[in-house]
Amino acid sequence: MNRAFLAALENIYPADRLLTRDVELLPYESDALTAFSAKPGAVVLPVNEAEIIDTVRLCHEMAVPFVARGSGTSLSGGSLPIPEGLTIGLNRLNRIKKIDPQQRIAVVEPGVINLHITEAAQPYGLYYAPDPSSQSICTIGGNIAFNSGGAHCLKYGMTSNHVLGMKVVLADGAVTQFGGESIEGVGVGPDLVGLFVGSEGLFGIALEITVRLMPQPELYRTVLAAYDDLGRAGDAVSMVVASGLLPGAMEIMDRLAIKAAEASVNAGYPDAEALLIVELEGEAPQVNAEFEQLRRIIDASGAFESRVAKSEAERTRIWKGRKGAFSAVGRLSPDYIVQDGVVPRSRLGEALVEISALKAKYSLAVANVFHAGDGNLHPLILYDGREDGALEKAEALAGEILALCVNLGGSITGEHGIGMEKRDYLPAMFSEEEIDIMQALRLAIDPKEIANRGKMFPGGEAPALARQGMHPLERAGVISRE
Amino acid sequence: MTISAPATVDELQTLIRDSERIHVIGKGSKTALHGNVNGAAIVGLSGVSGIIEYQPAEYTVTVRAGTAVHDLSAALDDEGQYLPFDPLLPAAATIGGAVAANLSGSRRFRYGGVRDFILGAEVVDGAGRAFRVGGKVVKNSAGFDLSKFLVGSLGRYAIMTELTFKVFPDVPRFRSLAFHYEQLEDALSAIYFINQSPYELDALDLAPPPMNRGKKDRCWKLLTRLAGFDETLPQRVERFSAAMTGETAPIQVEPLEDSASLWDPLAGLAGACLVKVALSPKQVPRFDEMVSRSPRRYGVGGNIVWLATEDIKQLDAALKSCELTGLCLRGVVESAVIGAPLENVLAARVKQVLDPQGKLV
Repeated sequence: MNRAFLAALENIYPADRLLTRDVELLPYESDALTAFSAKPGAVVLPVNEAEIIDTVRLCHEMAVPFVARGSGTSLSGGSLPIPEGLTIGLNRLNRIKKIDPQQRIAVVEPGVINLHITEAAQPYGLYYAPDPSSQSICTIGGNIAFNSGGAHCLKYGMTSNHVLGMKVVLADGAVTQFGGESIEGVGVGPDLVGLFVGSEGLFGIALEITVRLMPQPELYRTVLAAYDDLGRAGDAVSMVVASGLLPGAMEIMDRLAIKAAEASVNAGYPDAEALLIVELEGEAPQVNAEFEQLRRIIDASGAFESRVAKSEAERTRIWKGRKGAFSAVGRLSPDYIVQDGVVPRSRLGEALVEISALKAKYSLAVANVFHAGDGNLHPLILYDGREDGALEKAEALAGEILALCVNLGGSITGEHGIGMEKRDYLPAMFSEEEIDIMQALRLAIDPKEIANRGKMFPGGEAPALARQGMHPLERAGVISRE
Repeated sequence: MTISAPATVDELQTLIRDSERIHVIGKGSKTALHGNVNGAAIVGLSGVSGIIEYQPAEYTVTVRAGTAVHDLSAALDDEGQYLPFDPLLPAAATIGGAVAANLSGSRRFRYGGVRDFILGAEVVDGAGRAFRVGGKVVKNSAGFDLSKFLVGSLGRYAIMTELTFKVFPDVPRFRSLAFHYEQLEDALSAIYFINQSPYELDALDLAPPPMNRGKKDRCWKLLTRLAGFDETLPQRVERFSAAMTGETAPIQVEPLEDSASLWDPLAGLAGACLVKVALSPKQVPRFDEMVSRSPRRYGVGGNIVWLATEDIKQLDAALKSCELTGLCLRGVVESAVIGAPLENVLAARVKQVLDPQGKLV
């Protein structure tokens, strides 16, 4: 790394927050997309806004690429280091600056962990809604960069829908703020919050974020239904939707995913080809009435067994199996790739049949877990990275699944983002002109292309495919790939 | 005013390429937005209308930007669905106008505003390029989300020709109640109570005491609405009403006849200029003192104020002192945007890319 640049960093950071030795850099070489790794030139650990701004300005001045990183749980390689670039670790900016229960908002720093907002809001009967499966460790800054979702997006939206205002430093060092404490967000003028959220770290770094909080539902009613056919579970989802109900979550798992979940957390799931979880939430009298309607639908949907969570403990157990399904798959296979393509809900059945055919074509096992309510698939492609060409084969299969999603009128990513992983598939969704316009936008904000260089857009130098196996935190069951 | 009315995207592209400055309107329902565009060519999009694709089972609808809000709502209603952001001015407005001016109605309280339900768009930018932003499915995080950026963009960055929204099933029945309070502070405390309670309101507006009334009628009315099944509404209304009475001590609880006009926040706001301001509930007391003589209504739990005024200059000054920005919808004004200026470095960069020659005004 450039000596003059390092010397300038030394003026901002004390030695214990400027990491340059190989052993110190090692933990930052990869994120939750473990198939890729790259060595950063240095890692800095700012503790306040001013240090971030100084660092970004320095990077701009000396044209050094940087990536901002929270807990490194990106599934698309979004927080993968730029080889010989700077990684800005934001975990120490972890203060919740304000909880205002009356207005239902919180003001937080970018390194605050998603679940910590909910924990701080809980005493007031409130919570922070977006719930990616890594919520116990992922940070709000990363959630903003990738517009993270979760199991409960259909009703209340993704990260973007819960951010009201932010202060940011753009890649060229300009500091600006937009939105505020009104639930209308920006209110008058273009919705800059909406533009910044999901920009994958290419526009700059969020310094301070105002999020909206939601009242905790008075009652949850959760049903687990078992089917001897995956298509039938999909049909049940269509029946629920057609009935006019709006559940908080609708999730489906296939046989392989069920098997993995059972082996891992012993959720007590029935032996089935497919499981459907439907959860209603809201005011007790209304939810109870909706639940009667839901039961009639499930009964008519051909489920051979259905269970209703009778206590919070049972509900937690149902969800534990579902949320742990991904890391559980790691028990079945040394390596796997997760995709998160979206298809129109009515074409879920078609998509599953196609995936099944692809599975046979490549002779690879694929476990399916998906947010059925919004058509967001999560096929897990199992492979053994120790075998020659296995990863390449798995990636080819993944690519065909993405193409399938686009062909069915959907998207290559519902919530993980493009990152490093899917950058070559961006042209499957957008025309050359559309990508040119996005590139021009990026250049207008970041003329030197230093912010998260090499991500989102096709081309560019790819880091070596290196590491195999699960992320250490994943192996410990702390995070999961969803 | 001469209005060019392109019928196709091609015609719109040609118009943009051949014009020096363009101002786009839907049907012109928000007169203040095009009151002073200094000789720019006016392009009306009401000819670019019609529903392109509506799939109730997908909760999505794709519609041309010039479609009347009224027509779109009627088509959704036929399938028991609705646009949860509750576009304003349903009788006169186009859906493109509702997005460009970011105008959500009272029912926005339940699920969110325009930004929460827009999924994607087809646009023509100031350079005459036609392209797509966002997606067509309910969940998508590929590429920069320029479709959200268009919300509130006032046609100054790109002209929307087609829009895709997420829609929701509507609930069949409503019940409305007004809680009366003597002071604004008491009414705001009641909003704060509701904000931390599990009661799921369909709408929550606050109406100030009417002008020129006797002392007896001078109270703040907190307008509340519950939506749900017939069989559960009576019980829910009773529970909610009892909790409000116990916790917020209203001077009166008044059952209201639920109607469209009750939940039209603009109904009865008479004045030369009609203005929207986004603010937070805690900014209401200071702002309200400055505008206490203007007809107004606080919408969406005190997060929006709709206000009629005869004196736009005075309002402009009041907004500036509160660091708020307002959008004037109706009336004759020099600029539709009043109060604290909108200029922002990020927005300027987008302008530079989408409309480098500054054609769109």
